[in-house]
Amino acid sequence: MVLEIKDTNKNNIYVPELAKINRIQQISPTEKLFDIVFDNKEKQNNFSFEPGQFVELTVFGLGEAPFSIASNPANKEFFQLCIRDIGNVSGALHRMKEGSKIGIRGPFGNGYFPYDKMRNHNVLLIAGGLGLAPLMSLIKYILHYREDYKEIMIIYGAVNPESILFKNDIQYFSDRSDISICVSVDNPDDKWTGEIGVCTKLIPRVDFPAKDTYVVVCGPPVMYKFVIIELEEKHYSPEKIFLSLERRMECGVGKCNHCHIGDKLVCVDGPVFSLWEIKNLKEAI
Amino acid sequence: MLYKVISRGVYNDFVKSLISDYELIGPKKKDKAVYDFVPIKDISELDTNYTKTTIPPAKKILFPSAEKLITYEINKTINIKSVIEGSQKVLFGINAWDINGMNFLDKFFTTDFVDENYVHRRKNLIVIGMDSEPTETNFSLSMGCEYAKDGFDLYLTELKDKYFIRVATAKGDEILSKYAETSNAKAEDFKEYNKYMDDYRLKFKLNVDIKNFYDNFELIYNDEEFWKRIAKNCYSCGSCNLVCPTCFCFNVKDDIELNLKDGNKIREWDSCMIPEYGLVAGGHNFRPDKENRLKQRYRCKLKTFLDKFGRYACVGCGRCIEACLAKINIAEDINSVKKEVSV
Repeated sequence: MVLEIKDTNKNNIYVPELAKINRIQQISPTEKLFDIVFDNKEKQNNFSFEPGQFVELTVFGLGEAPFSIASNPANKEFFQLCIRDIGNVSGALHRMKEGSKIGIRGPFGNGYFPYDKMRNHNVLLIAGGLGLAPLMSLIKYILHYREDYKEIMIIYGAVNPESILFKNDIQYFSDRSDISICVSVDNPDDKWTGEIGVCTKLIPRVDFPAKDTYVVVCGPPVMYKFVIIELEEKHYSPEKIFLSLERRMECGVGKCNHCHIGDKLVCVDGPVFSLWEIKNLKEAI
Repeated sequence: MLYKVISRGVYNDFVKSLISDYELIGPKKKDKAVYDFVPIKDISELDTNYTKTTIPPAKKILFPSAEKLITYEINKTINIKSVIEGSQKVLFGINAWDINGMNFLDKFFTTDFVDENYVHRRKNLIVIGMDSEPTETNFSLSMGCEYAKDGFDLYLTELKDKYFIRVATAKGDEILSKYAETSNAKAEDFKEYNKYMDDYRLKFKLNVDIKNFYDNFELIYNDEEFWKRIAKNCYSCGSCNLVCPTCFCFNVKDDIELNLKDGNKIREWDSCMIPEYGLVAGGHNFRPDKENRLKQRYRCKLKTFLDKFGRYACVGCGRCIEACLAKINIAEDINSVKKEVSV
């Protein structure tokens, strides 16, 4: 075996690139949306990612965690991460101010939403809770090239009205006539006039024919099982159903092994998989 | 590969020269039957007649239990420095299965993304292999790992009054020629070597039917009762991971000094057997059951990497069998599959 050594710091796969939090928006009681710009202009200009890919974010002195990118890949000025205040790193991020420095590695993941194959097809997007974040990247991308796609429909489930993410974007999607969006909440308040209950029950209403429809799903682990049952009921092809999986990751580059499911590594083989790829992986869903 | 011999009388001087000119890591007796690979200052400390070492030598040198990956300094801006460590060392007396374990790690750390931290140490390591006696838990013959095809610079096999040496690299050739009087192996040397190897292989008493296990793995994968039975006594302590020459799982931690300015990213060995392994922020655990963790470990060792790299991620050293507090025995478990699937 030939062991290659390239003797520069750049080749250390664990070195993050310095970046700045340019803007922070509180978009729900527990989620904030962060606009991130690399300090190095060249790096910012060259930073490109696919919808569904993720980055490893370092809060210096505290730790590193993986986050899916939530912004439009066509946006070259900054990228966005939608982060829930729930862990060590995400909690620290929520306490940070605009202008703070963080470290970024990535983008990572060879499995992403196949927007190329989706062209000339209907696209059904199903999101539960924070699962909307990775899908936003894809939604914005396909809206950017709207004429390349047939019908687009978003089904989004949230716990309650105030936990609905990306409210402005959702309003914008609702106002457009070339995309339909259906939001359902588990616990409505007095003002809520929309759908009530888990988003899974909206699936039977979708009338996209199986043969020219792609489905993408992202949500909490418990959601997948039920969504898949509904999708199979409608005979959507497992090769055309894509799911983004969450796992613990320490490295993002296929070394630390924490995201192993069967023979797959979520970080390098995913995080987006077709249902066909993971159907037989017992722990996947 | 070159095949050379040195006479037995030359051996001591050869090793002494290596000790004086290099940082040499070799086996030293620690306890009654336990040996450890440590820096050797004098030839009297070196004991190549070892049978078992708890911590695999190559793994702890190339992939230490804790290592700095980067350092940084937080001021007005943040300066990040990559840490690539590793001076030239000689690893002396490592046996065939541990070399094969290292060969696995070589492949692993250079696939997809190249891990420079590992590669730098590996490049600076001169490996001189020697045979050691298998313990009763060693099944490396069945795993095809009792013999090292590559991964070393020199491999010394002790014959009656000489050492038969396989010279695998130019570096190895240079060292050997510099410090010892050698001659090319002749027909009778090869014959004596082959006879030795036949006898050597007879010492491996424990056999496993690994092919059967591999062929039937998918069949028993969903047999929950089987895995529950095997993992019944598991304490989820991770001893098996710590002593394994091929285990590579790690955590990355940020560590900051009390001045809140100087920080490091450190990686530490992790264990796939402990409950926190699959735990994510928010409290969801993707692998909460010990039987699923053990199943995943066996899959990783005995299937995943045969499919990926064409080699098992288990060399059959048997360390995990000896280390297990619950007496979980991978060799027995491999063989039990045959019984399980027979009709």
